[in-house]
Amino acid sequence: MSPGPINRRTLLTGAAAAAAGLALAGCSSDDSPSAAGTAGRKPGEKITLAFWSWVPGIDKAVDLWNSKNPDVQVKLEKVIAGSKGAYPKMFAALKAGNPPDLGQVEYQQIPAFLLEKGLVDLTQYGINDQAGKFVDWQWQQGSFGSGVYAVPQASGPMGMYYRTDRFKAWGVQPPTTWAEFETAARAIRKADPTSYICSFPPTSGGWFSAMAWQAGAKWFDVRGDDWVVTIDSPETRKVASYWEGLIRADLVKPEPDQQSGWFSEVQGGKIGCWVAAQWGDAILTGNAANTAGKWAVTQMPQWDKAKPSSSNWGGSSTAVLNGSKYPKEALEFAIWLNTDKASVDLLIQGGYGWPAAKDAFTGSALDKPSAFFGGAKYNEVFAKSDQLIDKSWKWIPTISDTYRHLGDAITAAIANKTSFGDAIATVQRQTVADLQAKGLKVATG
Amino acid sequence: MRRHRNLAVLALLGPFCLLFAGCFLAPIGYAIYQSLLKVERSGPLGLGGDKSVFAGFANYSAALRDSEFTGSVLRVLLFGVVQVPLMIVLSVVLALLLESASARWVPFFRSAFFLPHGVPGVIASILWGFLYVPGISPIVRLLDGAGLQVDFLSSGTVLWSIANIVTWQFAGYNMLIVISQLKAVPIELYEAARIDGTNAWQLARYLKLPMARPAIVLTTVFSIIGTLQLFSEPLVLRPLTVAINDTYTPNLNAYTQAFVNNSYNLAAAEAVLLALVACLLSFGFLRLVGRQGDE
Amino acid sequence: MTSTPLRWRIIVSSLLAVAAVYFLIPVYWLVLAATKDTTGLFGSNGFWLADPHPIRYLRMVLSYDNGIYLRWIANSLLYAGVGALAATLLSSAAGYALAKFRFPGRETVFNIVLAGVLIPATALALPLYLLFNKVGLTNSYAAVLIPSMVSPFGVYLCRIYATAAVPDGLLEAARIDGAGELAIFRRIVLRVMTPALVTVFLFQFVGIWNNFFLPLVMLSDQKLYPVTLGLTSWHGYTDRAPILYQLTVGGALLSVIPLMILMVVLQRHWRTGLTQGSLKD
Repeated sequence: MSPGPINRRTLLTGAAAAAAGLALAGCSSDDSPSAAGTAGRKPGEKITLAFWSWVPGIDKAVDLWNSKNPDVQVKLEKVIAGSKGAYPKMFAALKAGNPPDLGQVEYQQIPAFLLEKGLVDLTQYGINDQAGKFVDWQWQQGSFGSGVYAVPQASGPMGMYYRTDRFKAWGVQPPTTWAEFETAARAIRKADPTSYICSFPPTSGGWFSAMAWQAGAKWFDVRGDDWVVTIDSPETRKVASYWEGLIRADLVKPEPDQQSGWFSEVQGGKIGCWVAAQWGDAILTGNAANTAGKWAVTQMPQWDKAKPSSSNWGGSSTAVLNGSKYPKEALEFAIWLNTDKASVDLLIQGGYGWPAAKDAFTGSALDKPSAFFGGAKYNEVFAKSDQLIDKSWKWIPTISDTYRHLGDAITAAIANKTSFGDAIATVQRQTVADLQAKGLKVATG
Repeated sequence: MRRHRNLAVLALLGPFCLLFAGCFLAPIGYAIYQSLLKVERSGPLGLGGDKSVFAGFANYSAALRDSEFTGSVLRVLLFGVVQVPLMIVLSVVLALLLESASARWVPFFRSAFFLPHGVPGVIASILWGFLYVPGISPIVRLLDGAGLQVDFLSSGTVLWSIANIVTWQFAGYNMLIVISQLKAVPIELYEAARIDGTNAWQLARYLKLPMARPAIVLTTVFSIIGTLQLFSEPLVLRPLTVAINDTYTPNLNAYTQAFVNNSYNLAAAEAVLLALVACLLSFGFLRLVGRQGDE
Repeated sequence: MTSTPLRWRIIVSSLLAVAAVYFLIPVYWLVLAATKDTTGLFGSNGFWLADPHPIRYLRMVLSYDNGIYLRWIANSLLYAGVGALAATLLSSAAGYALAKFRFPGRETVFNIVLAGVLIPATALALPLYLLFNKVGLTNSYAAVLIPSMVSPFGVYLCRIYATAAVPDGLLEAARIDGAGELAIFRRIVLRVMTPALVTVFLFQFVGIWNNFFLPLVMLSDQKLYPVTLGLTSWHGYTDRAPILYQLTVGGALLSVIPLMILMVVLQRHWRTGLTQGSLKD
C-alpha cells in the first residue's frame, strides 16, 4: 500500500504513540520487523533463515542442510497448507514487513504473490544459471517476463489410485476411459449399495481444474497487457456435465476429500478409487495405513484412448519472500533443497510430489517397489503421466476466488439440481469481475 | 481544589481513553478511510506498478452488490432470529427451574450447565466437529441405529449445527446472569407471594420473569453482537463440509477478502458495514425494550 | 419451607437431567477421546473406551514439537492474565471517574464508550491490524495485549457499580482528612468496588482466553500463539500428519480442564458484580 496523506499519518502517529507508550516493557517481540533492507550477510556472519512450509518430511531435508551449513541455519516453521493457513499468514507477514525468508508457494498462487509484490526477482542473484537443473515447464511456472520468482520444487501429475481388493470383490475391472469409469461406477453401486467408486469433491477447485486441464481446457492466458479467461469452454463443460451425470445418478458421492469423514470411508473400503496427483500417495499411506498392500495405481481414465492425456494438480515452489534480509543465501538454500540428491531423496520419502529437478526419477526413492502399493513400482505410472500433460497452462492472480466460486457454484448446482454448465458460466463471469476488481485488464471475447 | 479534581479525572480517565482511542476510534477511522480507496494497477501482474486512489463509495457499492457478502449478512441474521431467542428461552427456563423450590442438586446442575462456557469457541467447534462427521460421530451412529439418517453437515443443516455449538457454549452463561438477577429479588417478595397462595407456575410467570427482565435484555444484546461476529465455528467446520465456504459469515468474508485475496479496501468497507449493522440492531433492540418498559 | 409435590420434583429433576446430559456429553466424549490414538478416534465407539492410554497420549501432547503446547498455554495465561488485570484497573479508574466527578463532556465520553460495547470486536480487528502494521506492532505480544486491555463493558459496569456502591460521604470525609484523589481511589474506592472488579476481571479473562480472531489476525509466529490458535493450527495440519488428530483432542482436553474448574469454582463472582451493579436499572 502506498503511503497516505498527512492527516492520516498524524492520526496514526498519535495512536501509535499511545499504544507504544503503554505497551508493557518486555512484552514486545524480540525480532523487530525488518524494513525491506537487503544488507546481506557479512562474511563469517552466522544467520538464520526462516522457512514456512507444510510439506511432510521437509524437516529432514532442512536438518540435513543445517548439519552441513553451520553459518546459514534454516529454521522451519510448519504451517497449515495453502489458502487455509499458510498464504493468509504470509500475506499478513508481508504487509507487516516481517515475512519469513522462504515460503512454500504453490504454482497457482505465484501470480497472486506477484500482485502483492511478495516475491523477490531471483535473476539478480543469478538464478538463471540454475535453469538447466529443472524440468522446463515447472521452471516456467515461476517465470514472468524477464524475471524468475520461484525455485520449482515439485508438481502433481495425475493418476488413479484404486483398491485392488475392493474392485475384485465387486467384480469390476479398473476403468481406463471415462466411459468405462461410468459403467464401473454403476456396477459398483449395484454390487454394494453402501460403496461408491469414488467421491466427488465439490469444493476442490484444484481438482476440478485438473479434470478440465486433462480434457484440453486452457482457462487463462495473457494477450498483451490483458488477461484472457476461457473457463467457460466446451472442454470444461464436457467435464462438468460428465460429473453432473454421475452425481445425479448417485454413482459418485459428493463430499470433501482428504477430511476425517473421507478418510474413514477410504479406510473402510467404502470408496474404491481416488483420481489424484502423485503426492496423494503420502496422504493415503499416512491416513490409511491399515489398507497397505491393497492399493494399485494406473493412468487416469481417458476421454480418447487414441490421444492419451493427463494433467497436473497442485505442485509448488520454494520462493524467496520480499523483505528477506538474506535473499542470496535463501536462494542458495532453495536451489540446494530442490536439486541436491540427498535432499530430494528425503523429500521424496516424505511424499512431496513429482520432482522439479531433472532426472530425479531414475534410481531415486521413487524408482522403487512399494509395499503399500502391492510391491509395484507405481511411480512409473506418474513418470508416464508427466509426459502427457499440456505444459502451457497458466494461472491468474485471483485463483483463490475462482476456486471458491467454483466450489460455491457446483455445491449450489448439486443442492438445487441445476446444471453444472450454468455453474461454469457463472464462474467465468465472476472470475472476469475478480480480475477487474483488482485493477487488472481483461480482454473480452 | 478544582484543578486537583481535574487532574484526578485526567489521571483516572486518561489511560483508558488513550487506549480506547487507539484500539477503537482509530481503527474505525482508519477502516472508513481505507474503505474509500482502491488500488489501480498496470500490467497483467501489476508489475508495472500500482497506486491507491480515491474511490468514493465504490467499495461499499461493491460489497452491497456482492451477493456473497449480502448473503452472509442475511445468513447470520437468520441465524440470530432463530438461535438467539431459542438460547435465551433455554437459559431463562433453566434458571427458573434451578430457582424453583422443586429443584434438587442445584449446585451440580448449575455447574454442569455453566461448564461449557470454559471451552473456547474454536475448541468447542473442533469438539462438535468430531460429533458431527459421519463415520466418526457416535451420535450419528446412535441415531443411525435408531433408524434416523441425520447429516449434521449438509447445506440445510449446518447453520443449525453451528447454532447448537453456540447455544451449548453460552446458554449456561446466560442462565447464570439470569439467576444472579433472580437472587437479587428480596426474599420477602417470594414469601409474600407464597402466603397469597401463588403456585410455582404463577410465581415464575408473574414475579420472577418480570424481575429477570434486565438480565434478559443484557444477554440478548450480547447474543446479537456475538451472532454478527460468527467466525471461528464456520472456520473450523469449513473443511468438513461443502456447505460452508470462505464467505459463509460476514466476518469470514472480510477475513478472506483481506488476508486471502488481499482486497483490504473492500474488507474495510465490509468491516464498517458490519459494525453499522451491529450498532443498528443493538440500539434498535434496546429502544424496543426500552419503549415497552415505559408502557 | 413447605415441601413441593413429588410430581413436580420429578418433572423438574428430569428436565434438569436431560439438560445436563446435553451439556456434558461433549465433555464426556472429549475425556474418552483423549485416551485414544488416531486410529482409535476414527475406528472405535466414541462413547466408550478403546485401548486407553491417557498418560502416554497426554505426554505426547506436552512433548510434541519441543513442547510448544506448554508455551501456548503460557502465552494464553499471559495474554488473559495481564490483559484482564490491566483492563480491570483501567476500567475501574475510568468508571469511577465517570461516576463520581462532574466535568464537561462526561456524558459524551460515556456514550462513546457505550457505543464501543456494541461494536463487534472482530470488525475492529482488521483495521487494527492494518494500523498496528503501520507502526510495526503486529506479530508481537503487544499486538494482542494492548487491545485486550480495553474493556468498554468493564467501564460501563464499573461506572454503574461505583454510582451505586461508593458513598459520596466516604469520599468527602477522606478529602477532608487531606487524602489525595489518587490515594482515595487506590485505598478506598478499589476496595469498595472489589465485587465489580472481580466480575470485570473474570469477564475479560475469559473473553481474552477465548478470543481467536485477534491473535489469528495479529500473529504469524507460532511461538506467540495462544492455545486456541495453536490447537487450530494442529487441527488444520491433520491431513499431513494424522497423529495431530489425537494431539488436538488431547490438547483440547488439557486446555479446557483448568478453565472449566475455574468457571465452576468462581461462579459466585460472576454474579455479585453484575447484580449489584449493572442489572439494577
